[in-house]
Amino acid sequence: MSPKSSLVSVVDDDESMREALPDLLRQFGFAAEAFASAEAFLASEFVSKTSCLLLDVAMPGMSGPDLQQELTRRRQKIPIVFITAYGDASVLRRLLARGAVRCLVKPFSEAALLDAVSAVLK
Amino acid sequence: MTAQPVAPTSGWNGFRAVNGDDAAGRAAAADLTNILDTVEVPVVVLRRDFTIAGFNKATADVFRLSSSDLGRAPRGISRFAGLPRLEEQCSEVIASGVEARVDFREGDSWFVLRISPYANGERQISGTVLTFTNVTAFRASIDQVIYERECTKAILNAVPDPLVVLSADQRIQSGNRAFYSMFFELASLRTRLKGMLAGGHAFQPVEVDQDFPGEGRRRLILHAHPLALPGHPERRVLLTFEDVTAGKQAEAANDLRAIAERKDGLRRSEAFLAEAQRLSLTGSFSWRVSSDEITWSEQLYRIFEFDPGMPVTLELIGTRVHPEDRPLLHDMIERARDTGTDFEHEHRLQMPDQSIKHLHMVAHGIRDEDGRLEYIGAVQDVTARRLSEQALGKAQSELAHVARVSALSTLTASIAHEVNQPLSGIITNASTCLRMLAADPPDLDGARETARRAIRDGNRASEVIARVRTLFTKKELATESVDLNGATREVTALLLSELQRNDVSLQLELAHDLPTVTGDRIQLQQVILNLVRNASDAMAAVDDRPRQLLIRTEDEDGDRVRVSVRDAGVGVDPQSMTKLLDAFYTTKSDGMGIGLSVSRSIIERHHGRLWAEPNDGPGATFLFSIPVTQRA
Repeated sequence: MSPKSSLVSVVDDDESMREALPDLLRQFGFAAEAFASAEAFLASEFVSKTSCLLLDVAMPGMSGPDLQQELTRRRQKIPIVFITAYGDASVLRRLLARGAVRCLVKPFSEAALLDAVSAVLK
Repeated sequence: MTAQPVAPTSGWNGFRAVNGDDAAGRAAAADLTNILDTVEVPVVVLRRDFTIAGFNKATADVFRLSSSDLGRAPRGISRFAGLPRLEEQCSEVIASGVEARVDFREGDSWFVLRISPYANGERQISGTVLTFTNVTAFRASIDQVIYERECTKAILNAVPDPLVVLSADQRIQSGNRAFYSMFFELASLRTRLKGMLAGGHAFQPVEVDQDFPGEGRRRLILHAHPLALPGHPERRVLLTFEDVTAGKQAEAANDLRAIAERKDGLRRSEAFLAEAQRLSLTGSFSWRVSSDEITWSEQLYRIFEFDPGMPVTLELIGTRVHPEDRPLLHDMIERARDTGTDFEHEHRLQMPDQSIKHLHMVAHGIRDEDGRLEYIGAVQDVTARRLSEQALGKAQSELAHVARVSALSTLTASIAHEVNQPLSGIITNASTCLRMLAADPPDLDGARETARRAIRDGNRASEVIARVRTLFTKKELATESVDLNGATREVTALLLSELQRNDVSLQLELAHDLPTVTGDRIQLQQVILNLVRNASDAMAAVDDRPRQLLIRTEDEDGDRVRVSVRDAGVGVDPQSMTKLLDAFYTTKSDGMGIGLSVSRSIIERHHGRLWAEPNDGPGATFLFSIPVTQRA
């Protein structure tokens, strides 16, 4: 499967992330969709089509980890790259222990982003 | 010689010129007769044998003598019965040749009888002349006077109060029985009397205590009344004595009873007070500022562990005060001496066995009627409370520290979160922009869009910073006249127990007559608080030297006020010095350094500046200076 057809879904309540990330991902050659909330993503048609989920941690309503739990419950094994503005090490460890592939701390470089997404899609 | 009987009413009955017909003699006799008959005084001439030789008209009128009485002896005349010794008296006069006076009463009339020798031409005393002066009226008036005098005397003597009349030179003219029986010694009052009488006509009463033998001490009020007698120019004074001993005794008895009652009440109150002081470990004191005279209650002696009754001086107190607390206490005492205002102070005692006591003192300044300043106050031994507070305080400060850290870390996290979002957007957009420009062909529209988004995100980031700043500083700056000495003292009072807990010894060097600055008192106090806390924290790891913290205020050339906080801590290295005051720079692993940054912006809004300097010795000094209140 070529990277071009891989869909990366961005779930973040921050508008600038929802605008910037898909453009950069598309520059990388990925397809990208952006959602303002976990609920919006779940309600969409893209759940089963997503190859990789770029997921914000702190969101109003359902949080990133909540979505992760929900997806596990629904047996939707979508690899997750958490993106978070919090630099708290203990949070990251907990997230990784839960089965996240990678965690990115904002602000992250394009190299770090590419690295994380590539690792997931391997 | 023969006596020719003459009609009684015709005048002089007496010798006629029977020796010869002497016209001159007859004329002389006639003259004499006329004169004698004119005289209203009865005149009788007696011969040596006491027979009446002659008498005048007045005699005839008064004594009803007639010519038939010529030749008779008065002895035989009833009218002269009041002169039983007449013949004897006349013999004496004839023998001595010396006039005699006899009181003679006839009926209701009083006479003074003058018996004079009668010498005839041959200078032989041939008889006596009796002259009767009627003193009846005279005697009556004398009697009246005597009567009235006796009456007055009787009245005066009946008066139980002593009365005495003094002349102008305080000599006793007369006094009543009560006066004399009083044995009053006027001599001892001479000067007071002189003063009393020296004045014009109004005399002030004089109160006198006098010891009377056999009666004891009596209290008298002397009143003086001027006595003016018509026709008598000399001034006299009537002194009256009012014995008020009984009244005074009653008063004194009442006073004594009242005093006894009050004494009892006082003893009871004192007992209660002493007990209360003992139970609450509170002693009381008084301090007369001008003489430094100090009085202590028993409990205060116990607190200081001095022998009760020992004379207390400021020096003696100083020997017990903890050496680190002496400067501040001294400062308080000197200020109290100057201002007379109430004060409250906490300090420690170091006892001879090195144990520490914590004292809390309150003092109230009062002025007596001469304006002299005296402080009365109480001192409580709060050691037990302080120790438990210290233990609690340690636990609390740890808790507070944790809370502060967690609050700060939450704050940090949320601020970081706020800022990192736009930052991430900028980086992502910029990365995208570069890629779009590098594409073949370059995606200029895309690049423009990403650039626009980057700028927007950059602005969002600075808005966040601005919002954070306003979180910590009030928008409005109050303007009032602020005395930085007073503001500093309030801050140190607030921090005193915390500093003591951290074993920091605080020194204040506050300039006299520091000019005021215009600004927000609370915000300036926040700055001082921040600097003092930082200084204390800087010495947290210091163990090999005293943790001395010095706060100084100075007048900078009259147009600025400088406040400096000097610590003996780890100091700041020169490179960090400038960075230190930048926002968000801190060497503390947990803090954000917001305190200093906010402090600086407060000072800058007061048109001042805040900076730091390394010390000559260990530690650093943080200073700010603000312009003095501008006079309009």
